[in-house]
Amino acid sequence: MEKTTMKVKDKFNWPMTILLIALSVIFILGPLYIAVVIAVKDPSDMANVLSWPKVFRWQNFADAWTMTNYPQKFFNTFFITVVNLLFTILSNSMVAYAITRNRGKSRFFNMMYYYFVSAMFIPFNVIMLPLVKQASAFNLDNIYGITFLYIIFGLPMNIFLYTGFVKSLPVALDEAAYIDGATPFQTFFKIIFPLMKPMSATVAILSFMWTWNDFLMPLVLLSDQKDQTLQLAQYVFKGQFNTQYNLAFASYLLVLIPILLVYIFCQKWIIAGVTSGAVKA
Amino acid sequence: MKGKKFLALGLTAVMGAGMLTGCSGGDSGSTAKETKSSNGKTELEFLSTKAENKDTLQKLVDAYNESQDKVVINLTQPADAGTVLKTRMTKNDLPDMVAMGGDFNYAELQSAGVLTDLSGSDMLDSINESYMNMLYQLNKDQEEKPYGIPYATNSSGIIYNQDIFEANGITVPETYSELMDACETLKAAGVTPFEFTYKDAWTILPVWNSVAPIIQPENFYTDRKAGSTTFADTHAEVMEKYIELVNYAQTDYMGTSYDDGNKKFAAGEAAMMINGSWAITEIKKANPDINVNQFKFPTTDDAAKNMVNSGVDVLLGVTTSCGDVDAAKDFISFMVQKENAQLYAEEQFAFSAVKGVEQNDPSVAGVKDDIEAGNVVDFPDHYYPSGLDLSADLSGFFLEKNNGKDDAENIEAVLKKIDSDYDTLNVN
Amino acid sequence: MKKKSALKPKVNPAFYLMVVPFVVLFFAFHTIPFLRGIFYSFTDWKGYGIWNTVGLRNYIQFFKDPAIGQTYAFTLKFAVSATILVNVLSLALACGLNAKIKFKNTIKAVYFLPYMLGTLIIGFVFNFIFGNVIPLMGQSLGIEALSTNILGTNKAWLGILFVTVWQSMAFNTMIYLSGLQTVDKDVYEAADLDGATGFKRFRTITFPLIAPFFTINMVLSVKNFLMAFDQIMAMTGGGPGTSTTSISVLIYKRGFDGGQFAYQSANAVILFLIIAGISIFQLKVLEKREAKMS
Repeated sequence: MEKTTMKVKDKFNWPMTILLIALSVIFILGPLYIAVVIAVKDPSDMANVLSWPKVFRWQNFADAWTMTNYPQKFFNTFFITVVNLLFTILSNSMVAYAITRNRGKSRFFNMMYYYFVSAMFIPFNVIMLPLVKQASAFNLDNIYGITFLYIIFGLPMNIFLYTGFVKSLPVALDEAAYIDGATPFQTFFKIIFPLMKPMSATVAILSFMWTWNDFLMPLVLLSDQKDQTLQLAQYVFKGQFNTQYNLAFASYLLVLIPILLVYIFCQKWIIAGVTSGAVKA
Repeated sequence: MKGKKFLALGLTAVMGAGMLTGCSGGDSGSTAKETKSSNGKTELEFLSTKAENKDTLQKLVDAYNESQDKVVINLTQPADAGTVLKTRMTKNDLPDMVAMGGDFNYAELQSAGVLTDLSGSDMLDSINESYMNMLYQLNKDQEEKPYGIPYATNSSGIIYNQDIFEANGITVPETYSELMDACETLKAAGVTPFEFTYKDAWTILPVWNSVAPIIQPENFYTDRKAGSTTFADTHAEVMEKYIELVNYAQTDYMGTSYDDGNKKFAAGEAAMMINGSWAITEIKKANPDINVNQFKFPTTDDAAKNMVNSGVDVLLGVTTSCGDVDAAKDFISFMVQKENAQLYAEEQFAFSAVKGVEQNDPSVAGVKDDIEAGNVVDFPDHYYPSGLDLSADLSGFFLEKNNGKDDAENIEAVLKKIDSDYDTLNVN
Repeated sequence: MKKKSALKPKVNPAFYLMVVPFVVLFFAFHTIPFLRGIFYSFTDWKGYGIWNTVGLRNYIQFFKDPAIGQTYAFTLKFAVSATILVNVLSLALACGLNAKIKFKNTIKAVYFLPYMLGTLIIGFVFNFIFGNVIPLMGQSLGIEALSTNILGTNKAWLGILFVTVWQSMAFNTMIYLSGLQTVDKDVYEAADLDGATGFKRFRTITFPLIAPFFTINMVLSVKNFLMAFDQIMAMTGGGPGTSTTSISVLIYKRGFDGGQFAYQSANAVILFLIIAGISIFQLKVLEKREAKMS
């Protein structure tokens, strides 16, 4: 018995380690290597796409930067992502809190729970056609409008995620606050909301990933070039890059780099957040 | 923080509006876009559906923006522009001006009544009337009113590498048999005769467009509409020619994209491409020194019967949601000025619809005479119902062919498919 | 009115203030479009201009339309294949990552990386790899199967499948890994003593313990894959022919561009029914699971 435990504890499984590294190099890092190499190559150096660049042509990035008007697209995407994230966390958690706490007391809140959760059955593609008409009628086909729609459309999933968590917080906390004279709003923002941090982290990551990488909703809603997001801009410029693959890939990398930076710094947190969200769902 | 406040404000406003009108939910109707002003200038959005003419149009737009200080034109050129334009039509959010082909997209916009009638403008005087007539043909009930100003016309046929032809002692084929002979000669010499780019399905159409109008019976368009004839009865020859042609194409013609194919052709990897003059712009971009020229697709063995495909490649239109119609008209007048039209024609290897503008580039010299003599035929797919996805059907045909389907069966199947697609759309 | 009822605890009005505005907004911008979509599916509207109600015509046409049949066949084939592949491969990968390996966190981070990247851009990158890298490699190695662009053949869907699996594995692997980590180490030690190792150990001990995660992953995956859009737009645009046109691509392309706004609304309604069916199935399974656990 003792011997086996020692074995499990001390000896690394080297064949598995090597296999996993090899697979990750071929399948994950390989394609990314190709993307990076092409982005820094000179067009004349494309005979062997896999080879290491003879010279690094940083001009590709500068060209892609001006061609796609990167700063503007970045700001649009950043605005949508950050505003959506802040509002989603504040509002969706509040709705979930109010619903969870009153489901037992009132049929209305119970109904609202089922109303929101059943809306998870309706993917965006299903309401896309009429939504596009309605959004333009309400002048929502711009970055402010799309941000607003993201906040609204996130409700079903986020309420689902938050309600499970709110249930685990003792009602005694609320009652103690009421005795001290706090209103439900104060109770929520001062006491409950801070306690919801772990779930808010998950919701934050999921909405961040959703809005930053979304393509379909910007595609059908944002028509003004000034409003385009980074993802949409890549699609819109596809025709104009033509065979200038070096420029195109430089442009792709410019979109990937911000999210890669976020990932490098918050990697553990992100993996944990995403998995805990999914397991609860 | 400012954004947040703004949004909060927006949310409340929208919420109010939502409560008031949420349930009625109707369309608020087409409203002219408010003319956005930055530093007092009128801004107009000018959407072009062609990726190829971006640089040239941008040059002209810049020149116009500098020439006066009242209007700023913003050029946009989205990928998949046809769908984008239609999506924006659905949204009642059209750009102020469009530059688009004289095709079913134009027909659809025109029949939806979102293009402004430009009758009475001075600029019409400088436009070639035969091109105006081409657009009238596309108007609803063939109404003879200018909803678009023809700007440039194209020529579609065979683009060839003159150096490769010379090196192999080939003269320009005038009949179909000569074309086949030329292909044999090239193949024997180890040269790939054709570079096809069928991964982008629309590049399959040029052969159809060249062959169909010549082999189809008279009055085919009206008879087909009335249901008294079918593609299956009349168009088998087009498909047979396709099968012969792809024998001479590079192996991976289904996996080659338009961009990659142009680049390979520019690098001298094949002798010919079948596409329109617009591709020459792209080829020249990839290799400015290449000696290319164009000749008409020799559909039959009777050289006199063969014609060049030519249609309105770019027309300029003003939408009904244009914020400032006079400014838009002023811009179009600028565009049709002789030197500007000349610049466009030269850079885009296009033939101009503007009177007195000549196209003397050697890259299209081979079709110039035919075009000037009017020995041209319009693209037949402009006369099929919009929504008929002919290119997808043809792409499916080649997919089946490469799957090993029997040619005769395949031809019958694809033509029947086109017929049934046509009928579905015709009824609606 | 203000008397407290002993039977029914009163809800503080502030709670209504928290919920009602969002219910109204959600109703206005999610439910109303949904209901309007259903309504449009009974009309012949093109998205603009005049329209009439046409009863069930769109639905009757729907079941006769070979284009729709092909689209659904492709989407289902794709979704089922992707679901199976993603889950089997993720589970295998998760087992590998759960082993006692060196550089565990780094390796884990690399495998999770694809989840972070936008599907559209991944699609563009692989479009290039399939079109320009693999054929060249195939030609120089003399392998005929690899020397053409797979996206131009009847195997184009496999190219899309590959990219989808490549990206989706990241997420599923992490879920399985978190599932595997809940399995008590003692269980394995006991199994070791009993001589159960390798696949046998996996089949008899590990899998039953993480089966709930498996079900969840399967259901979530099917739903996502049924709505595939970005990677297809980036790689094939639905071709060659219409062989890789998914339901979402069809709704987008024909709904806006093909003058089939109403007809594609009917398509969207059918898609909704399928997704709803799967979701209900999912809830049933979840309930069963919860019942078992408690």
